[in-house]
Amino acid sequence: MTEFLAFTVTGVVTGAVYAVAASGLVVTYTTSGIFNFAHGAMGMLLAFLYWQLRVHLHWPAPFALIAVLFILAPLFGAIVERVLMRNVRGSDTGVALMVTLGLLLFLVGLALWRFPQTEPRALPEFFAGHSVRIFSVNVSWHELIEIASAGLVAIFLRLLLFRTRIGIAMRAVVDDRDLTALNGGRPSRVSALSWALGTMLAALAGILLAPKLGLSVLNLTFLVISAYAAAIVGQLKSLPLTFAGALALGLGEAYAVGYLPTSGFLSHIKPTLPMLFLFAVLLFLPQVRLRVGRVVGTRSARVPAWREVGVVGVAFVVLAWIVASSLGSIDLASMGEGLALGIIMLSLVLLAGYGGQTSLCQMTFVGIGAVVAAKISHGSSPIGLVAAAGAAAVVGAVISLPALRLTGLYLALSTLAFAVLADNLFFLQVFGGGGGLAIHRLSLLGISFDGEVAYTVFLAAVFVLMGAFVLAIRRGPFGRLLSAMKDSPAACATLGLDLTRTKVGVFALSAGMAGVGGALFGGLHGSISSNDFVYVQSLVLLLMVTIGGIMTVSGAFLGGMLLGPGFVVLARFIHVDGLTFMGAGLGAMTIARSPNGIVGQISGAVDRFRRRPAAPDEGITDVEVTEEVERIVAPVG
Amino acid sequence: MSLLSVEEVSVRFGGVMALQDVDLTADPGRVTGLIGPNGAGKTTLFNVITGLQEPTSGRVLIDGDDVSGRKAHQRARLGLARTFQRLEVFGSLTARENVLVAAEIRRRWSKDGSNPKEVTEAILERVGITAAANERVDAMPTGLARLVELARALAANPRLLLLDEPGSGLDTQETEAFGDLLLELAQEGLAILLVEHDVELVMRVCELIHVLDFGKKIAEGPPSEIKADPRVQAAYLGADEEAAPDEEVVSS
Repeated sequence: MTEFLAFTVTGVVTGAVYAVAASGLVVTYTTSGIFNFAHGAMGMLLAFLYWQLRVHLHWPAPFALIAVLFILAPLFGAIVERVLMRNVRGSDTGVALMVTLGLLLFLVGLALWRFPQTEPRALPEFFAGHSVRIFSVNVSWHELIEIASAGLVAIFLRLLLFRTRIGIAMRAVVDDRDLTALNGGRPSRVSALSWALGTMLAALAGILLAPKLGLSVLNLTFLVISAYAAAIVGQLKSLPLTFAGALALGLGEAYAVGYLPTSGFLSHIKPTLPMLFLFAVLLFLPQVRLRVGRVVGTRSARVPAWREVGVVGVAFVVLAWIVASSLGSIDLASMGEGLALGIIMLSLVLLAGYGGQTSLCQMTFVGIGAVVAAKISHGSSPIGLVAAAGAAAVVGAVISLPALRLTGLYLALSTLAFAVLADNLFFLQVFGGGGGLAIHRLSLLGISFDGEVAYTVFLAAVFVLMGAFVLAIRRGPFGRLLSAMKDSPAACATLGLDLTRTKVGVFALSAGMAGVGGALFGGLHGSISSNDFVYVQSLVLLLMVTIGGIMTVSGAFLGGMLLGPGFVVLARFIHVDGLTFMGAGLGAMTIARSPNGIVGQISGAVDRFRRRPAAPDEGITDVEVTEEVERIVAPVG
Repeated sequence: MSLLSVEEVSVRFGGVMALQDVDLTADPGRVTGLIGPNGAGKTTLFNVITGLQEPTSGRVLIDGDDVSGRKAHQRARLGLARTFQRLEVFGSLTARENVLVAAEIRRRWSKDGSNPKEVTEAILERVGITAAANERVDAMPTGLARLVELARALAANPRLLLLDEPGSGLDTQETEAFGDLLLELAQEGLAILLVEHDVELVMRVCELIHVLDFGKKIAEGPPSEIKADPRVQAAYLGADEEAAPDEEVVSS
């Protein structure tokens, strides 16, 4: 009984902190309409700043708390709202997603740089050592403070939203932003305030959680998932239900720790509980109504004609050969890396660029592909490649199914949750603690691609083939269908299209492509470890292909080259931890201005320069003709 | 047994009854009109019929079978197709591709061996938009885009066609041709349910007209009766001209 009580107290305490974090998430989401993926990351950074003041500079706790919670946090939130989010509002949810993900990565990079994870850091509990006995259970003062914080936050939010002018304005903005503005409300001020408030709550949650969770950049950052899992119970709207969800989640975790076996597979469940909870809730959410009443047309990149694809493809491989032969081994390795990443990014061109859906777990599929290929004849057999594609596709279909009934935001969140889940459950099992798995390079029809140059050229050829495959889809009926579905899902449904099945299909196809990429990526490195597939890598991947240009094959190439060789070169000049994260994050935050990325910018500039007449009409599929693939070659040479 | 019957459908949005116990039928071979002032619930009823909006109560039957639990795409496969009052075109595709996608979607589920490209060309010709077929639809004027939506709906080869204000944005001549097309389609056995504000067009093509006002059906009958119906006149006058409050009282 005492044991049960002790677990219950732990659960309530954890639930309380989740409630604080989740209510911040809900407040910003409902009032500004932007789901802040960086919520956890903002809390993380502020927890580190608190550590800096409290521990490093020896400030007394009250001063440090006031400085962080009431000055830095609201300022930070308001600045983020004013600088970043203001441009995003009104554009489609995809842009908001990229910008907040960019912020997340940037903050992660910043924290890794300013607070290197190699130095041990600990944040003491409040009133460490003090505790009270409640029904034979020891409850520390820190834990009491956590519970009290949640209570105070609940009361404060209730009073704010229902008893104050500004709170009522906040609720009005949720209902109808434009109407509020017409009636003399000031939505922009309200929105800045809600971001300030949300950030304060994120900071509070981070500071309360850090003593137990440790000052780990990644762990504190994915607090956003736990918070989200709680908030989704209230469908991201209701605060009381959010608190209930947080409590349920906290208790579930505590009982899992207490009663699940301490060894074997089940012992790894605990850190994944928020994700499992999330999937369970998703299954029970009602299907969303299809929105009608808007004309959408995306500025799509033009699709090159087949002849050009052939010529450019051959030229690409030949050029890759020449370049690869002239490079030293280090540069050659990073060129291979860039090509492998480009291949993986092609899967996102299909899914996100053409299909308009988001995956934040693409590296997980890559990992699954790599592991499967490694397990089958150590990666050297083509059967392994096929199995890699198959396994990743099946997993992709299964995990996307619950979220695809809902909106894009839910898909993004549940794929992020899945990535974290796989980190903790699957990859940890496969690789053990920090170990690697050897994977050989493919040999095809008796030809081995073991040599560095040979493998690099092989990767270039695969990139061309996969690129051609993606373009074939683009110009065929399925590509047309994807465009149509992106523009108006409702119209597609009323024409008899099973949206869920189609979406699952494209998601599985994309996952399968990522799986193939994984097998090749593994072969390039010779061995893989869980670090290669940690969840933030999926975010980096998505952001970099977006920066390159997610609508085009050349965008995937550019993204791969920037992420592979690009950052390797950059790192020679700038010696900073977390450089990749900061770079990818910064780039993504500018995406609101150029949704088609660098490739979009370049082709726009070229079009303006040439002032060329409308593209020749070559029938239905060849309406959009261009030389875009030609530009693929340029950055290599 | 009618191809489509709507039975006592009600939809509540918060405190507002958008539809209240509405009954309606549509039969093959004729154009059925659905008219009423703005906000009467016509589009909501279309959404209920096509499965985009779940009714608070009531049933929708196709060929006498209750389809209330079916999703939008399942109803489409029973032969329903529609256009939208606020356009839902595929903006990044050309007019031809809009129709082609629909034909391809249809072939996918019907497996009828039709050739989507041939179907597309025939329909473009029939609706009279071949000349604009290679234009992107998000750059088109509304009237033309509405015709693209009609063509797209026809590509699904429906038995029941629901048209939500297809005539707005068309000039007199185009409206004339459009009316002819509707009559022609009906003659071929299609059931058409038409929401339209152009009274002349409605009176010309419809055999039977249902009138909605504030979510309730206030009249039903052939055009001549509807024209003469005092309730209908009151509903229209009451809604269009603020200066007729007395008549509104009479109508309720």
